Amino acid sequence: MQKIFLIISWLCLVYNSQAQDADSSWFVSNYTKKEVYIPMRDGIKLFTSIYIPRDKSELHPVLMTRTPYSCAPYGDNKFAQIWKSFRFAYVKENYIIVTQDVRGRYMSEGVFEDVKPFIKNKKTKKEVDEASDSFDTIDWLIKNITGNNGRVGVIGTSYPGFYATEAALSNHPALKAVSPQAPVTDWFIGDDFHHNGAFFAMDGFNFYSSFGKPRPVPVTDYGPGFSSPEKDNYNFFLKAGALQNLASLIGDSIKFWHEMYKHPTYDDWWKARDARRGLYNDKPAMLWVGGLFDAEDCWGAWNSYKSCEAQSPQTNSRIVMGPWYHGQWSQEGSYLGNVRFGSNTSAWYQEKIEIPFFNYYLKNKGSDKSIEEATVFFTGENIWKTLTKWPPQNVEYKKLYINKEGLSFSSGNTNDSANTKTFFEYISDPAHPVPYTEDVHHGRTKEYMTDDQRFASRRPDVITLDMKIQEDLTLAGPVIADLVTSISTTDADFVVKLIDVFPDDFKYSDSGLNNGIAYPMGGYQMLVRGEIMRGKFRNSFENPVPFSPGMISHVKFELPDVAHTFKKGHRMMIQIQSSWFPLADRNPQKFTDIYKANDSDFQKASIKIHYGLTDQTNFILPILK
Amino acid sequence: MKIKITVLPVLIFICMNSYAQNKPSGFVKENYKKTDTLITMRDGVKLYTVIYEPIDKTKNYPFLIQRTPYSAGPYSDTTYPGRIGTNIALMNEKYIFVNQDVRGRYMSEGTNLEVTPHISVKKSKKDVDESSDTFDTIEWLLKNIKNNNGRAGIYGISYPGFYATASLPGAHPALKAVSPQAPVTDEFIGDDANHNGAFFLLDNFNFLNYFGKTRTGPLTDYGSEVFNVRFPDAYAFFLKLGGLKNSQSEKYFNNSSYIWNEYL
Repeated sequence: MQKIFLIISWLCLVYNSQAQDADSSWFVSNYTKKEVYIPMRDGIKLFTSIYIPRDKSELHPVLMTRTPYSCAPYGDNKFAQIWKSFRFAYVKENYIIVTQDVRGRYMSEGVFEDVKPFIKNKKTKKEVDEASDSFDTIDWLIKNITGNNGRVGVIGTSYPGFYATEAALSNHPALKAVSPQAPVTDWFIGDDFHHNGAFFAMDGFNFYSSFGKPRPVPVTDYGPGFSSPEKDNYNFFLKAGALQNLASLIGDSIKFWHEMYKHPTYDDWWKARDARRGLYNDKPAMLWVGGLFDAEDCWGAWNSYKSCEAQSPQTNSRIVMGPWYHGQWSQEGSYLGNVRFGSNTSAWYQEKIEIPFFNYYLKNKGSDKSIEEATVFFTGENIWKTLTKWPPQNVEYKKLYINKEGLSFSSGNTNDSANTKTFFEYISDPAHPVPYTEDVHHGRTKEYMTDDQRFASRRPDVITLDMKIQEDLTLAGPVIADLVTSISTTDADFVVKLIDVFPDDFKYSDSGLNNGIAYPMGGYQMLVRGEIMRGKFRNSFENPVPFSPGMISHVKFELPDVAHTFKKGHRMMIQIQSSWFPLADRNPQKFTDIYKANDSDFQKASIKIHYGLTDQTNFILPILK
Repeated sequence: MKIKITVLPVLIFICMNSYAQNKPSGFVKENYKKTDTLITMRDGVKLYTVIYEPIDKTKNYPFLIQRTPYSAGPYSDTTYPGRIGTNIALMNEKYIFVNQDVRGRYMSEGTNLEVTPHISVKKSKKDVDESSDTFDTIEWLLKNIKNNNGRAGIYGISYPGFYATASLPGAHPALKAVSPQAPVTDEFIGDDANHNGAFFLLDNFNFLNYFGKTRTGPLTDYGSEVFNVRFPDAYAFFLKLGGLKNSQSEKYFNNSSYIWNEYL
């Protein structure tokens, strides 16, 4: 959702500056730019930049992005540097390129509302939402821009991905193809601000302290956000303490931040802001795109696609998931952090999927037959798989149990008895939370989701269990964690991490693109998927319930879908811990409204994870046959 | 620290520096004559010594000595190193450089002792230590190497720093200046092997795998290490290793390193 990713999505690096010079002059001499205010049905005007090809030999389609991050540069004679992106391909195809400041942002009129709720049955012209704004914009464009072919596509990554989803819901007949990419979808359950109700304080704070600034009148620049001299985010957020203190740092004027604090559960206010709510009877062709290692909206990409399949089965909808950080598909795609993918996965996606998709639906060029229902990159074996269904039909869900030696597909043989210990135990101390990464830095790193977890294995408050992989084992789908817990207090968080442990003698070859950092890959503990669950929501996100100290309680939750092959000779590892800081805020480990908690509410908890025969902690793995 | 690798950054730095100073690669050979010789100690043991004398004989020069357990090579009169010593300015200044394999290491005869104890009262010619070996070496040099100015200096970094310190008690009167640098001093209280009695497992396990190999006679190369074990994650390796005595298993030291045996 962060602004930087919007910028880089257009600035795909092309290092040949001569080619860039040629492309930029081609753009300027073959296109004209217009800036217009397009009136919406309620009279509000939205600022829109339109790049129109001079070519009149044929009619051209429209490709639009609606954004809260500005359609800069402003000025009829200032051209966006699309030539730095792979999306310059659309310019070379003479698409009419449109970007629009959404209602209430930058130069558009009106009042901005974050993840604005979709209104299903609009009764008057005063009832507007992002779908109606998209409808009105598309309608105006096809009626007013000469030389258009009557077909419109919408594309957007991150927050603009949310606006792409909403545009699809407009169901304007001219809208033929929509690609929501890493779409912001549900800020309580899985994207950006929360994962399963745990507050993602660091990302939220760093993003929202600038994004959330008030804008009484249209502007071209919002100015900087909160600036901290502290470069160690672990220390900064630990010192900041309870969420209330963080709120006072951010100031009163950042309205949505304080609004979120008033909704500590998955109430109607949050549900109205779930982009899946409107995903019914969706007419345009959909191409959902996301990153397996996207720290912000991995959940949104998987779950928007799934909701579209379930709620709008007749829709022509497809998904592409690559081994990417947020927006990496417009960047170099050969590696992420220390982990390599063996080929430039981004370039493959650009050439084989995205450009053919829009060319087919908007220009009737080529075919869409080569784009399968689901195109998913499987790390570990490093190949793209094209599938007719996601999760694939030939997936068998199998339970993986924990026992005192590690992990096993057989259930335990340890009988519960007074004399036998059948649990692991650790002390979770909010004053010393488990860090989410080993390094010291200010912002959240984009690589953390493939980071080496050896630093965590070394901590006494992380349970680390593993087993040897005898034959290649491919996972394709969601992983369900079913933790059998008992805790000494009334609330706690549970983080489950699925890890691929490389063999001790593992080495990458000397050739192949990488991050340029020499790192010991032998014994590497690659994070494949991690997720957090705020314990009090274990039965319901709407109605949290406390734990009874010392009593057994199941904490069952879903980790976002995995596409990974554990190679023979590797080890599969699971880590269980009760903090993931400062990625997620700390649970005071007392059943309370955490947004109102005081520093003095935070307390240690003893956490037990049980593996006795009668009630054994397990993970349901989606094994591809 | 006496780990060999700690010397390497110094060497690399100096090599880069010399490159920056644009020294021709044949500087040593053009300005120094190299002689490999065996110097006999009072007990009859011969120590392998490499001497670099300035070719320019118009002046007299002081000796600058380094005594080392890490090899005085390159060996043979005709093989020259790229540079001499750890300080390029001294090489340019012109000294008679002397590198010596200490007793029992590489090409020297005799038996090596770990941090050789000093014998304060020597009763016979059989009572030898690093002080007497240094004394005998200086005595031989003064008598046998021409164009010396009657003065000697000794220096060394890490384990060679210990040998610099060890020259001090009963020093030869010609020894005028000594610079022990990062000198190995007390392996129980604060250096290398132990800090206040806590054993420094990681450093010593790796160091003695290389350094702790025994030899049956003089050699230019100790060959492979005591055992061939590589581990990417030291934390995991030593945690799994468990009790210290497990390091003597067949896979590891197997009681074959004199120093390791003594440490344990």
